[in-house]
Amino acid sequence: MQHVAHVTELHSRPGEAAIEVAHLSHAYASADGDVPALDDISMTVGVGRFVVIVGPSGCGKTSLLMMLAGLRAQREGTILCYGRPIRDPDPQRVGVIFQEASLFPWLTALDNIEFPLSLRGAPREDRRRRTAAMLTLVGLDGFGARYPHELSGGMKQRVSIARGLVQDPPVLLMDEPFAALDEQTRMTMGHELLRIWSATRKTVVFVTHSLTEAVYLADEVLVMSARPGRIIDRIEITLPRPRTYEMMATDVFGRLRDRIWQQIRKAS
Amino acid sequence: MSRTQIILTRLALLALVLGAWELLPRNGVINPLLLPPLGDVLTMLGELLGRPQVHDALATTAAEVLVAFLIAVPLGATIGVLIAENDYLGDIFKPILFYVFSVPKSIFLPMFILVFGIGFQQKVAYAAFTTTFVVLMSATAAVESVRADHVLVARSYGATRGQILWRVYVPSMMPILLETLRIAMIFNFTGVMIAEMYASRTGIGHLIASWGENFQMRQLFAGVILLATMAILFNEAVRFLEARCSTWRT
Repeated sequence: MQHVAHVTELHSRPGEAAIEVAHLSHAYASADGDVPALDDISMTVGVGRFVVIVGPSGCGKTSLLMMLAGLRAQREGTILCYGRPIRDPDPQRVGVIFQEASLFPWLTALDNIEFPLSLRGAPREDRRRRTAAMLTLVGLDGFGARYPHELSGGMKQRVSIARGLVQDPPVLLMDEPFAALDEQTRMTMGHELLRIWSATRKTVVFVTHSLTEAVYLADEVLVMSARPGRIIDRIEITLPRPRTYEMMATDVFGRLRDRIWQQIRKAS
Repeated sequence: MSRTQIILTRLALLALVLGAWELLPRNGVINPLLLPPLGDVLTMLGELLGRPQVHDALATTAAEVLVAFLIAVPLGATIGVLIAENDYLGDIFKPILFYVFSVPKSIFLPMFILVFGIGFQQKVAYAAFTTTFVVLMSATAAVESVRADHVLVARSYGATRGQILWRVYVPSMMPILLETLRIAMIFNFTGVMIAEMYASRTGIGHLIASWGENFQMRQLFAGVILLATMAILFNEAVRFLEARCSTWRT
């Protein structure tokens, strides 16, 4: 592991760690003193892996993700991304996709996707080309001029994914991105996400409370306990890729989902 | 009802009211001394618009309205944003400002006369005073309308404080801010009018008050039509801008 500290380029060889979390703990200050939220979390996410974090509501999985994104500071422990600590948001290394698509209603789909690039002041030509490519990648050709209120829930989340990918960060953090969608759209979007993931080979950390979604998407599922959140199990999902809807009906799929469920039940 | 029908009905109602205004006083159903026929009022309006005295009054009033507006809007917006964004200032000043907001501002008018006299400064000071509170309240609401998740998105993409202000806060607040400008102008105009009618030597409000006192009803109604038209035109201009912004308002 020592060599990781010397890695400077962002896209490393497979087998290396994209994210390393060591002994991370956190507590929130309240009127009645500190409320422990996260307890001694250590985890490693390999480059190009799809890791899903599940856990009961309020276990701090979203907080953990916000810390990985540099949007919130932890009390103790370290987070390394490609060998360098994450203290502030770093869009070059990490793209974040939120639960609500959180698109800016005053911008068109294209302008929303371009937003991160426009903050950098990249040349207009490059920005437009890159933005159009992302729109195609998420399957929204022809919808670029629409405003968010003219898009369906699934389409909004596609725009949000395109916005997260537009700067080509090696790591993508996703906080229950499909939670607000209906079941059918959710399944379709999961499938779409896997397609986009295999086309871009990003490292993904994905938070959800849907066990089916977790097993369907993940290389590896991390199970968190109720507050204060700890990682209580790590389950390798051995299902072959590309994943298909039919796999959900198999025994293996059922057993994996069951094991996660048992762990969560014990933990909460 | 279709759009055309609605518009036609509105025009018919307007014609009815204006027609009644013309005919009822002429036929003596309404005392023409109290309500002169519309035709007479419009003739008087044309005549008034040619009088240098009226030009001066309009110019004075317009200057007072403009200066008061230019003082009240930035002042109210600044205070409003400060108490909405800064918890410490908010805790201290919010209740006080909300209490004062509920008090009718016209009861302070005699104090403004004592301090500023009855000239230009008093009109501006009083109108700016009443308007500042309206702007302040709306600015607070505008800041609170900015969604936390939008700010978080911008931060996650590495936006600086300045970028968050210009790229997230300003567009988020724009619909409420435009509405604020419109309402601020209504209060501002009202403030200047009240101050002019209460005690003044110049301005269109002063003219209207003295026409009323001297029972010059044609002049009085002509003045009312003139002011009403000006106010409605400004209001509609800002509403047009608001409508253009509201396409993305969800």
